[in-house]
Amino acid sequence: MKDTNIDFSQPQRQSLLGVFIMFADAFQESVRALFPIIVISLLSEKKKFIFYLITAGVVLIGGLLRGYLRYRNFTFYIDNNEFILQKGIFKKTRIGIPLHKIQQVNINQNFLQRLLKMYEVEIDTAGSSKTEVTIKAVTAQYAQALKERLMQDVVGKNKIGDIAADSVQNKEIPFITVSFASLLKTGITSNYVRSFGILLAFFISTFQHLDEYLTYSDTKDNFISEYFNTTFLLRFIAFIVFLILILTLVINLVRTILRFYNFKVVKQQNSLLLSHGLINTRNTIIRPDKVQMVTVGRNYFQKKFDVNDVKIRQASDLEQSKDRAKMSMEIPGVNQAEKNALLEFLLEKMPERGFPIKPNFRKMIFEAFKYIIIPVSLLYAYTRLIPDIADILYIIPVYIVFVATLIYFAFRNSRLFITPDFIIRQRGAWDIDNDILAPHKIQGIKLQQFFWQKMSNVGTIKIYTAGGDVHFGLANFTQLKKLANYWLYQVETINKNWM
Amino acid sequence: MEQPFSNEIIDTLALPQFEDVQLTPLHPSYLKVIWFNIALVFSIMAIAAGAGFYFINELQPYRLVISGAYIFVVILTIVINVINFKTRGFAFREHDVIYRSGAISVSTTIIPYNRVQHVAIHEGPVARWLGLATIEVFTAGGVGGDIKIPGLEKIHAAAIKQLVVGKIDSKQAEDEEDIYTAATKEQDLPEEDNNYERY
Repeated sequence: MKDTNIDFSQPQRQSLLGVFIMFADAFQESVRALFPIIVISLLSEKKKFIFYLITAGVVLIGGLLRGYLRYRNFTFYIDNNEFILQKGIFKKTRIGIPLHKIQQVNINQNFLQRLLKMYEVEIDTAGSSKTEVTIKAVTAQYAQALKERLMQDVVGKNKIGDIAADSVQNKEIPFITVSFASLLKTGITSNYVRSFGILLAFFISTFQHLDEYLTYSDTKDNFISEYFNTTFLLRFIAFIVFLILILTLVINLVRTILRFYNFKVVKQQNSLLLSHGLINTRNTIIRPDKVQMVTVGRNYFQKKFDVNDVKIRQASDLEQSKDRAKMSMEIPGVNQAEKNALLEFLLEKMPERGFPIKPNFRKMIFEAFKYIIIPVSLLYAYTRLIPDIADILYIIPVYIVFVATLIYFAFRNSRLFITPDFIIRQRGAWDIDNDILAPHKIQGIKLQQFFWQKMSNVGTIKIYTAGGDVHFGLANFTQLKKLANYWLYQVETINKNWM
Repeated sequence: MEQPFSNEIIDTLALPQFEDVQLTPLHPSYLKVIWFNIALVFSIMAIAAGAGFYFINELQPYRLVISGAYIFVVILTIVINVINFKTRGFAFREHDVIYRSGAISVSTTIIPYNRVQHVAIHEGPVARWLGLATIEVFTAGGVGGDIKIPGLEKIHAAAIKQLVVGKIDSKQAEDEEDIYTAATKEQDLPEEDNNYERY
């Protein structure tokens, strides 16, 4: 780390190669802005070569020019304990962030940046996400030096030791390294339902088109009925199902490896540094005091393989749903021991599963009504209106069995575990998730009851945190009210900040 | 706090219970605001339907059905709104605020003062004419967990705001400062920047 003595008090520019990254951004924006025109011109009958040439020229030259101007006008420096960024070509913008407001400094790299050996520095502040700052093109050493300079104050405030001793690349022994084997295991065992649904929808729509095509183009009815005899049809269906299964596996595997390749968790001062990704490398810092909720999930296969999926939800901004997703970090494929170490670090102590609360059996009735009776009767009514598509009704028995099984297992797994220090909500039919949160992270509580539930004294409870909501129900309403009172008492008496 | 849960459950019985709190109903004038809103929406619908009947001949045979459905919806809306008005109630306790609302499903929301981000008061045109205001209590828990109490007398709303803000401030005096309210010094923000430059 020889470059740590860069003088940040002087206005700095990004690396010259930043022009290309700025250009790429500007180019992307131009294409997006001109997209309707491009589409219209491609669809129009009169194709004039010169027109394309001019458009392409404008986009390219304009993009380059803007990239360069943006690069020229993008400067930053540290003055009087404040990080100041100036940018903008016509509309000049000046952003000042007091150093002690900086929450995180992340160093990332996307594909283009990797090609150019550049890094991106992202400065995260508490408060509105609008003040988030990204510097798109600096060298590795520069990024590191800037990060250390920016974090100096954070560390000073938290009265932890010298951060100069902490250099990301070299010294730390990884706290957790997710091996390729674990990724493979996670890849082939996760997200079945989602990928399967997407693929099924895809095949059904293709099949419908095929069907239409055959009925319209082929006038020889005999030919079709000969061709589509029962054995053939069965074989065909078996083949499709098999194909869907294989594709599901492959897609999940590829997705998992692309996203989580070389996943490392490093302990750094009082926080965790996560880095992962095959094409885009992402680095994220997680500070335990910002963590609102931790979700541990696994399904039957993952239990056998001893892999868990840990999701960490940090306090997010109020309105930005985009940010909410970003604040949820996933650590795939950790084994039992690693999971426990993680939980202990993030939640200060190992959460225990305490007093279990079971849902009321009416939960199943309610869900059967919502997911079986209403959709099926709607579908039935629909087929009465349009008799041509009555064939769809064959799918109903399959649907009912499938959904009923899901509802039953979801009911069996649904639990709320309570200890004085933690609330654990368990849910899911196949993928079983455990959401773990400490009572002092609660922001508000809502109890809900439909008028017909008054007689049977059941209801739902919703716990709101800055990292997401937790719902539980239907369950004994008296018990839920008691819990609400207990948690309120805890929130109002425990002198701990939620962030 | 250190005991196992089985002990705690007996403790919880001794804790103050939110369900026993006598909730204050909304100001009776607020019902007028509700009536006004219903009247406005349904008269616009009625005018549209009337115009439709007059100008589109194909609608003639469905006249009765549409009118019947309209009356049904009007009655249902009135019933739901009146029940909802009667369920609504609020209470400001020493440490938290309680708000109950709903007709088909009744929900009670409770927010402790030490989790409140900020409080806002606003007045709609009709409510202002009647001297009423709405108070909103925001937390970091997202939109679903916020409380919005309509139909308060203006003076009452202002007093409540004073009370809650006072509670937050005294809390803050103890712990340094609130991160959200004292967020970064933001000058000109970069968000709109891109739109200006786009061509």
